[in-house]
Order: sequence, then C-alpha cells, then structure tokens
Amino acid sequence: MPKQRVWDLPVRLSHWLLAGLIAFSWWSVRNDHTDWHIWSGIAILTLLLFRLMWGFVGSSTARFANFVRGPGHVVRYLRGDWRGIGHTPLGALSIVALFLVTAIQVGLGLFNEDDDGLFAGPLANLVSPDTTDTIREIHELNFKILLGLIALHVAAILYYRLVRGKKLTKPMITGRAATDSTAAPMRPGKWWVALICLALAFAISRWVVAGAPPFGA
Amino acid sequence: MRTALLFASATVVFASAMVAAKPLTKSQALGIMHERHEGMEDVGKQNKILRRELAASSPNLGAVRAATATIARHSAEAGHWFPAGTGPELGKTGARPEIWQMPQDFAVKLRNFQVAARALDAAARSGDVGAIKVRYAAIGDTCKACHDSYRTDMHH
Repeated sequence: MPKQRVWDLPVRLSHWLLAGLIAFSWWSVRNDHTDWHIWSGIAILTLLLFRLMWGFVGSSTARFANFVRGPGHVVRYLRGDWRGIGHTPLGALSIVALFLVTAIQVGLGLFNEDDDGLFAGPLANLVSPDTTDTIREIHELNFKILLGLIALHVAAILYYRLVRGKKLTKPMITGRAATDSTAAPMRPGKWWVALICLALAFAISRWVVAGAPPFGA
Repeated sequence: MRTALLFASATVVFASAMVAAKPLTKSQALGIMHERHEGMEDVGKQNKILRRELAASSPNLGAVRAATATIARHSAEAGHWFPAGTGPELGKTGARPEIWQMPQDFAVKLRNFQVAARALDAAARSGDVGAIKVRYAAIGDTCKACHDSYRTDMHH
C-alpha cells in the first residue's frame, strides 16, 4: 500500500512532548524537584491548550469532529467495517480519556500545594489550605488513573503491532503510514493558524502563572 | 538579651537531647514522634496561611501575627523533637536517619530555622509588611534546607 501523510507536525510534536513532560513530571516530583514539577505542569497546560485549539482548526486528522464518534461507529469498527485514516473510533475513546484525565491532573495541580506549603501551584492561594489538602489527595489518585490509561495505550499499540501486524509508533514519528487508498487523504492545517494557537496557549498559561483572575486573590 | 537566652537554652535542650545517655522508653519515643508530627503539620498549615495573607493586597496583620507566633513557638519546641531513638527504626516518620548520623549539621539547620522563626515573628509584631515578606522568604529557605537533607516524603 502507498504511504501517505496521516499526522501533521503539530500533532506529532504535541504527542511526544506530552509523553516526555508527563514522564518528567513524575520523575521530578519523586526526586524532590517540586519546582521543576510545577513548571512541567504549566508546560503541559500550554500543550493541552494548544492541542485543544488545534483540535478545532488544525489538520483533518487532528480535529475532534473528525474522530470523536458515538458507540455505533465503535461497534462498526470492531466488526471491521471502518475505512479511514487517523484515530479509529475505538482509539478516539482512548485519546479523549487521556486528554481529559491529563487536563484534570493539570487543573488540580494548579490549585495544589505540598504538605509544608513551601511549593504551590499558581492558583493555590485562591483556595483554603484545607481544600488544597483534598486536592493533593485527588491529584495523587488521578495520576494512578492516568498511569492506567497510559498502560492501556501502550498495550493497545503492542497488540496492534504483535497481533494485528500494524505499526502505529512509526507513523507518529514520521507522520506517514500505509493506508487504505480509498480513504480520504489528510487535509493539512495552516502553519500560521498553528502559530496563533500557540501564541494563545502561551498567553492563557501566562495569565494562569500570574495567579489568574486579576492576578491573584 | 531575652532572645539570646531563649536561643541558648533551646540549643542546650536540643544538644542534651541529642546525646541523652538515658534511652527513651518506646512509649516516650512514640509520644515525641507524635508531637513532632502534629507540630510540623501545624507549621506547614501556618505557612500556608501566611503565604495567602502576604499575597493579598492588604494582609490581615492579626492573622499574620497569630501564624508567626505559632511557628516561633513550634520552632522552640522543635529543640526537643529529635532525641536519639525517634527515627524510622521505631515507627512511621518523615525523619531520615541522617539526622542522628550528622547531628552537628542538623543542629545548625534547626537553629537557623529557630532564628528565622523568631525574626519573622518580630517583624510581624512590628507590622512592617515589607520586612515580614523578607523574613517570610528567609524562613522558607531554612525549611527547605533542612527538609532537603533530613526529611523524606511521608503521606499520612
């Protein structure tokens, strides 16, 4: 089968940066680099904001409207009745879950602070110390859920590779994959739209770092 | 003078506790560990209250003074929170064994905290918000310096 483009550069960069930053966040908080952990979380916030916007105005395979599907499509996909490129209807469920749980994790982190109150997310001052105690517990619990989803994601990739003989990792690096030639090709996004999304993502993150509303409580 | 005396007595209490010849009974040791845990937790809570107050455009000085006085009181108590035999060998604690392996360094770091706590409390009583913020930043550094070397993560 001929190879064609399936993932554009913004999607691939978002994916690998997210994977790297989640790993770094985990490592840094476990090794007493809480300040790095907080900045890593803010970087993830920026990335998620960018990816969210690119999911509306990006390339065809990046857009949520093109891959988030109802249960009917998932059932048809499982029966082998699906032709397309990009996320499959089943894979889309995994993507949405990963995105949401990561967003919840970052959102909680913004309001979190450590036991000692020495390290705090940029919005922690907006809530009471008792609230941050609860937030800290949920932040730790939610990370376990995130790890579970990541394990499922990796297991699915291994399953496709070993059982179905389909390579998914390489296309996420090169952007190209052997696809069904009857499927509609990827329609790329515009580079200047990506830059606007990135600038907006940075601006919103900067506002959060400043302590939000009119900069603090 | 009063400060110097307090400081000297806290250091003596601490030093004598570190080299106490008479070992603690298990229940005494567990009692101290409990008091230490509750005290440190309260220091953390007061720290969170202070950060919120000091981030506000006009801090509530009454709340600030209550917090700094509580931290200063706990910092003095901390002089007898770390006698030998109250480490992880006895029970669940965030205190690392290094506390008792490097007692001189630990004593210096604890003293730095006590000095910073009293300076912060003095600034709070003076009511100069600028000075309070400077002392607040300084005490945070003494917390971090000690916790980096002598405390592990302990989730309760």
